[in-house]
Amino acid sequence: MKKVIIGNHAVSWGVQLARAEVIAAYPITPQTQIVEALSEMCASGDLKARFIKVESEHSAMAACIGASATGARAFTATSSQGLALMHELLHWAGGGRLPIVMADVNRAMAPGWTVWTDQNDSLSQRDTGWIQLYCETNQEVLDTTIQAFKLAEAVDLPVMLVLDAFYLSHTSEPVDIPTAAEVDAFLPPRTARYKLDTADPHAYGALTTPAVYMEMRLRQQEAMERARVVLEEIDAEWGRRFGRRYGAIESYRMEGAQLALVTSGTITSTSRQVVNDLRDRGEKVGLVKVRMFRPFPGEALRAALGGVPQVAVLDRNISPGHSGIFAEELRAALYDLPPGRRPAIHGYIVGLGGRDVTPATILDCIARARAAASPSTAPEPEDIWVGVTP
Amino acid sequence: MPEKPAGQDLAHGVPPIAVSSTSTLANRTGSWKYIQPIYQDRVAPCNAACPVGVDIEGCMDLLRRGKLDEARDLMLRENPLPAVTGRVCEHPCHTACSRGAFDEPVNIRAVERMLGERDLGARTNAARPKGDAATPVPAAASRPRRKEKVAVVGSGPAGLACAYHLARLGYAVNVFESDPEPGGRLRYGIPDHKLPRAVLAREIDRIRAAGVTFRCDARLGKNLAWETIERHDAIFIATGAREHEPRDWERHDLPAVRSGLDFLREVRAGEPKAVGQRVVVIGGTDEAVDCARTALRLGSEVVLLFHGAREEMEADAEAVAAACREGLRLECLARPVGLQLAGHASDEQPLEAIESMFEAGEGGLPSTRLVGVACVRVRPPAAGEGGAPGRLTVPGSAFVISADTVLTAAGAEPGCDFLPPDLHRRGFTIRCDEWGRTSKAGLFAGGDVAGEPRTVAHALGAGKRVAIGIDHWLRQRAGESLPEPDPKSLRYGANGNVSITRWRGDDPVPRVNELNEVVPREMLNFAYFTHEPSRHDRWSAPGFGTSALAEVNLGLPPADALAEAKRCLNCGVCNDCDVCMIVCPDVAIHRHAEHGFSLSYKYCKGCGLCVTECPRGAMTMTREGL
Repeated sequence: MKKVIIGNHAVSWGVQLARAEVIAAYPITPQTQIVEALSEMCASGDLKARFIKVESEHSAMAACIGASATGARAFTATSSQGLALMHELLHWAGGGRLPIVMADVNRAMAPGWTVWTDQNDSLSQRDTGWIQLYCETNQEVLDTTIQAFKLAEAVDLPVMLVLDAFYLSHTSEPVDIPTAAEVDAFLPPRTARYKLDTADPHAYGALTTPAVYMEMRLRQQEAMERARVVLEEIDAEWGRRFGRRYGAIESYRMEGAQLALVTSGTITSTSRQVVNDLRDRGEKVGLVKVRMFRPFPGEALRAALGGVPQVAVLDRNISPGHSGIFAEELRAALYDLPPGRRPAIHGYIVGLGGRDVTPATILDCIARARAAASPSTAPEPEDIWVGVTP
Repeated sequence: MPEKPAGQDLAHGVPPIAVSSTSTLANRTGSWKYIQPIYQDRVAPCNAACPVGVDIEGCMDLLRRGKLDEARDLMLRENPLPAVTGRVCEHPCHTACSRGAFDEPVNIRAVERMLGERDLGARTNAARPKGDAATPVPAAASRPRRKEKVAVVGSGPAGLACAYHLARLGYAVNVFESDPEPGGRLRYGIPDHKLPRAVLAREIDRIRAAGVTFRCDARLGKNLAWETIERHDAIFIATGAREHEPRDWERHDLPAVRSGLDFLREVRAGEPKAVGQRVVVIGGTDEAVDCARTALRLGSEVVLLFHGAREEMEADAEAVAAACREGLRLECLARPVGLQLAGHASDEQPLEAIESMFEAGEGGLPSTRLVGVACVRVRPPAAGEGGAPGRLTVPGSAFVISADTVLTAAGAEPGCDFLPPDLHRRGFTIRCDEWGRTSKAGLFAGGDVAGEPRTVAHALGAGKRVAIGIDHWLRQRAGESLPEPDPKSLRYGANGNVSITRWRGDDPVPRVNELNEVVPREMLNFAYFTHEPSRHDRWSAPGFGTSALAEVNLGLPPADALAEAKRCLNCGVCNDCDVCMIVCPDVAIHRHAEHGFSLSYKYCKGCGLCVTECPRGAMTMTREGL
C-alpha cells in the first residue's frame, strides 16, 4: 500500500508494523509527531502496546530499559536536547544489551535555540553502545525502523535510527507500506535471552569488578562487530521480501571515479543529483553513502574508496576543536590502506543548524577538493567551512 | 533465538551482561539496616469519634471484601440499634472521616442503616408480617449463661444497650419500662418522619431475641416496688430525662401552651390531641425542629422562634433546611415575651401571671383563648459588649405572631424522686463514674440520668460502658480476680467510646500489633486514592400533609451503601492493598494467603519506602531489635 506520509509517520508506521509492546515518551518539544501518531494507534487499538507518558526523556529511556529488561519490545523517539538528556541511560541500555529501538530526529543542539537539522545530537552519543543508522528517504525510514528491531534483537544491542529534521521528518513522500502479515513473517515476536523474572530472580547491572568488566565490554564490542554482518543478512532478507536494499554503505556511480563524495542523511539525495549532472558532462565523480555509523563500516569503506584519488566528505556536524566527524572517522579507517590506494580526504563542514545544502554548495566542495588536489595532492590540513560568511 | 538460563551464555568467561549467576537471595541486604519497618494497625478516626464505640473501619473493610453478614455481625457486637442510629445519629464519624479532607466523607450513617436493615427484612414503615420469626442475633457473640440477674430501669437507648450487651454476656436481664412499649425517647420522643415505629420495634425484637425480657407499664414508685428491683444482683438506672422545667413566661395552665416533648409523645403514641392551625414552636434544638415538622405534617402553619442566629441552632442544619422547604417559617434572633389572649374575661386566669408587654385582649381582661405570641427582636452582643445571648432587645421591635398553640422545646431534666435518698447526686443527675458505678454497690446509672450528652449514640455508648461495669462487678463478686477495666485500652484511640469486643477479647477481625492511637492524617498517603464523590442520602419529596408521617430520609439503596463502604480509606489498618509489597526494592515483603504480609528482615534494608508509601499509615519504622 502506497501512502504519502511524512518521515515522522513513516517511523510510526514502522513501529506499529513491528508490533512494539511498550512505548515511552515525553510528549513535549523536542518530541515529534512520531509518538503522537503512536499514541493514537495505541488508543485506537491498532497497536496493542502500553503507552507510557513520562515526565522527561531521561524517564522515557528508563521506562524503555525497564520494559526491555522484562522481555518486551520497547520503542521511544526523541531529538536534540531530549537525546542529550538521555545520555546516562543510553549507556545503561547499551551496556545492558537491551534491544531498544529509538528514532532520533536529527536536530542541531542549542544554544542558540534551534529546531533545524544537523547531526550533532546523535553523533554526540557515538560511544554509548548504540547502533546508529542514518536514513535518506521516508521509505528508508520506514524500512529501517522495522529492520532495526530485528537487528537489535539479533545482537542484543539498542538501535538508533536517525532522520533529518524537516527534510525528512516533516516532508511528505510516497512510501510503500508493507502489510502486517509481510512484516510478521520478517520479524517474529521477541524472544529475550535474559529477562526479569520473579520466578528466577537475578541481579542485573550490579557491581562488576575489574576481574570481569573488561570481558563484558569485549563481548559488547564483539556484538557490534557481529552487527555489521547481521545487518547485511537482514538487509538481504529485506531485499528478497520487499525488493529494497540499503546496506551499511551504498556506492553510487563509483565506476572509475576520480573523486568520491561521502555523505549521510538527505544530503545524499542532493549529491546524487550533482553526481548525475557531472557524469552527464563526462566527469568521473561518484558517491558513497554511509548509512551505518555504528558499528563503523570501515572494511566496506576501504573497499569502496581504496584507490579513489580524491574523497570529499560532507559533514553536517562538527566536533568543535577537531573536524567533521564522518571525515575524522573516515581518515582513521582509510589510513591503513597502502599509500598508493589511500585517497586524499577533504573534509567540508556544511549545512549546520539546518542551513540548506544545495547542488551549488556541493559543487563548491567538489571544486575546492579539485583545487586542493592540484598540483600537489596534499589535502587541506583542516576541514573547510563551506557557505559561511567570511 | 531459544531462551537460555542466565549464566549459560558464557564467552571470555562472562555472560553478555552484568547478571548475577545466583538469585538475589544471595545478597542479604538486611545486614545494612539499623531501622526497620513493622506492620502496625492503628485506630481509624471514625472509630474514635463514634459515641457508640463501633468498629466502623472494620465493618467497611468486611463490606469491601463482600462479607456482608460478617460486617453486620461486627456492627451488632457494638451497636444493638444500627437501623435506629443509621437514621438519627448526628454522625460525628462523618466529621472525623479522613476522606473529608480529600473529597467527601464516607456516608457512614447510610452504611450503618443498611447493615441494621440487613436482617430486618424491610426498609419501609410497614409493620412486621405476622408469623415472622424473631430476628437472629449473631451466635458468636453469646457467652455461656450466668446465674446473676440484672434489672434495667428504663428502656431508652442507654437501657436497651446495657440490657443487650449484658444478655450477650450471659446474664438474665429484666427491663422495666414505665410506658406501654419499650424504647423510651426513641419510642415516644422521635417523630415518625425520622424513625418509623416499625423499624424500632424490630430492632427491639432483636434485643428480645438476645434474651432480654421487658416489663412495660411498670413505673417505679407507682406500680413497681423498689423491692422488686432490689431482688436483682445488679441494677442499672437509665430513666432518662423527661421532667419539663417551665420557663417564667409560660402560662402552662393554658392548654394551648404545651411541652413539645408531650406533643411528640402523643403523636408517637397514636393519640394526638388536636393541634392548632397556627403553631409557634420555641427553641433551637432537634426536639424543636421535630415538633415543628410533626405539626407541619398534621396540617398546621408553623413558626419556629429561636433567640439566636440560624447557624447557632443546635438542631441538625439539614433538618432545619428540610423543614423550611416543607413550609416552616423560621424567626431567628427573636424571643417571646408574652402571650396574647382573646378578650373574654376570666377570673381564673390572673393577668399578673403573664409577663406581657401587651394589653391582653379587648377591654384589658384576660381570657383562656390564645391568639398570639408577643415577641421582640434581639441582637447579638457587639464586640466587647456584655450581655447574655438573646437578651439584647432591639428597641421598638415588638411584634406578634398569630398563634393558637405554643410548643416549648426548651429541654427536660432527669427526675430522681423514686431513687434511694442516700444515693449521691449532682444537681438533677446521679453521680457515677465512667463504668456507671454509683455510691451504692451494685447500683449503676448512665445516660441522661447520669448527665451524659443527650444523643441516642451517646446513650448507647453509655449503656455499653455500664454493661462492662456490671459484668466486671458481678464477676468480681463471684470470686474472679479481675483488674479494673482499663479505659485507655478499651476506648478506641484512648478517647473514643469503649469496645465491648475488646472487653470480651474475642475480636473476629485480625489485628496486627495494634496501637491504640488514632492514625494521624499525615500518615495517610492520599496519592494512592482517587476522587469519588459521596453518595448522599435519598430524600422523599417534601410532601407533608399528604403522606403524613412517612419517613423523609430514605437512606441509600444497598448497592449504593456498599459502594460507599468501598470508598473507605481504611485509615490506619492494613487492607491488603499490596503497595508495600510492590514498592519494596528488596522483594522482602510477601503476602499471606488470608490476610496481611510478612517482612523478611534478612533482606529488608530499612529503606522505609513501605512505611512512607503505605496509603493508610498501617506501618511503623522502628529501631532494629526494638
